[in-house]
Amino acid sequence: MKPTLTNDIQLSKYNPLPRILSFDDFDEGAHGWCELVGNHNGDLNELQPVFSDMRPPQLSTCTFFDLGTHGSMNGTYSLKLATRPRQFHQAVGIKRLTSPTNGRGQVETWFTYKAEQTFGPNASEIRAWDGNYHPSEAQFGSFTIWNDICEGPEPGQRYMCALRYENTNEAGDFTQRWMYKTALHPTTRMLQGGTPSTQNDVHVARTDQWEPVPGGNQQLCFNEVPTKVNWHYLRWQFDLASRQNIELQVNDLTLDLAGVPVLPTDEGYWGISRLLNFCFDVRTTSNVRNFLYLDSVLISVDW
Amino acid sequence: MRHFFTAVIEKNATFEDDFTTEPYECAWASEARWFIQVADLDGKAELEARVQVSPDGLFWCDHGAGFPTISGTGLYTLPLRDFGGWLRLNCSLSGQNPRARVMIYLVLKE
Repeated sequence: MKPTLTNDIQLSKYNPLPRILSFDDFDEGAHGWCELVGNHNGDLNELQPVFSDMRPPQLSTCTFFDLGTHGSMNGTYSLKLATRPRQFHQAVGIKRLTSPTNGRGQVETWFTYKAEQTFGPNASEIRAWDGNYHPSEAQFGSFTIWNDICEGPEPGQRYMCALRYENTNEAGDFTQRWMYKTALHPTTRMLQGGTPSTQNDVHVARTDQWEPVPGGNQQLCFNEVPTKVNWHYLRWQFDLASRQNIELQVNDLTLDLAGVPVLPTDEGYWGISRLLNFCFDVRTTSNVRNFLYLDSVLISVDW
Repeated sequence: MRHFFTAVIEKNATFEDDFTTEPYECAWASEARWFIQVADLDGKAELEARVQVSPDGLFWCDHGAGFPTISGTGLYTLPLRDFGGWLRLNCSLSGQNPRARVMIYLVLKE
């Protein structure tokens, strides 16, 4: 039986599975969403570069220079992930749980995304502002929703699902499509073991290891200028029993993800049994700060 | 319970020139405290760190508060109120071939 709290305006905008594990309204704090940091032995010099600077999340008012405070979808604050103004920099927020059993899990959020306002001409202005199109949209790279799951210490029991909205590709050209990865996340241990990595994407060793999800072309509502935000609905479901993605819904697009491969690690991992981590990240393909804003996040399960 | 959040603004970062920290949104908090942990400070360097505020995260001016000149390793702190919606530090390094390795924390409470 689904929760039917339709009289609760905060929950009625979601479609949860029967048991809600967390409902994170960022008007009431960060709710355990924190910066992802790589593994180390206490000496931060040991951090792999790609895991060393993933930026602290911020409770944002969506305040802009031209219109003042935009606020969030419900209330004033949203959770903001912000990159540095450096090409291929990535900001990652994580929430860490464990799972009592294998079953379906679902993450829902209302989100929006922006490139920071810039002034004057820049490289992305190949297509100029025309009163409707704004070059800021081409300064936004991608955002990704993902998990990190480990059933136990045996080889093959850890895997990660990741779905990326690629607004622009590595060259900065519009692609506006959903992507999945075709290779393992390079973990800290893999990197320390010598796995070659370009160290500019936390998900993959090489950025050509992403492939388009079939039917996953989608134009979102950037809304022309960098200071207007429109909140989008996202629902992602996956299954710990079958180790599969199930589906991704973003507004009017629902993608069947059963055919998207999920790759387990060959090695066993110690001390992370029943790990159930959830992450969002934002990655810029320009030298402009990119932002991902989450009004709220709801995590639910079918057990 | 009061709300609280510690943001690691710079993590084991090495600077050899002047720098500003990334903009950080803090509208929800009425009190803040900066910490600078100086792990290395080479070249007879001195670090000046001044607080800056902003209406929009784009344009910045001095708040008026700042750390006393830092000329050695150690942990330094600065309390702050009345800072609006954004905070950053504007830092300058002086000395011969100065080099500083630092952790910078922003502690927010409401």
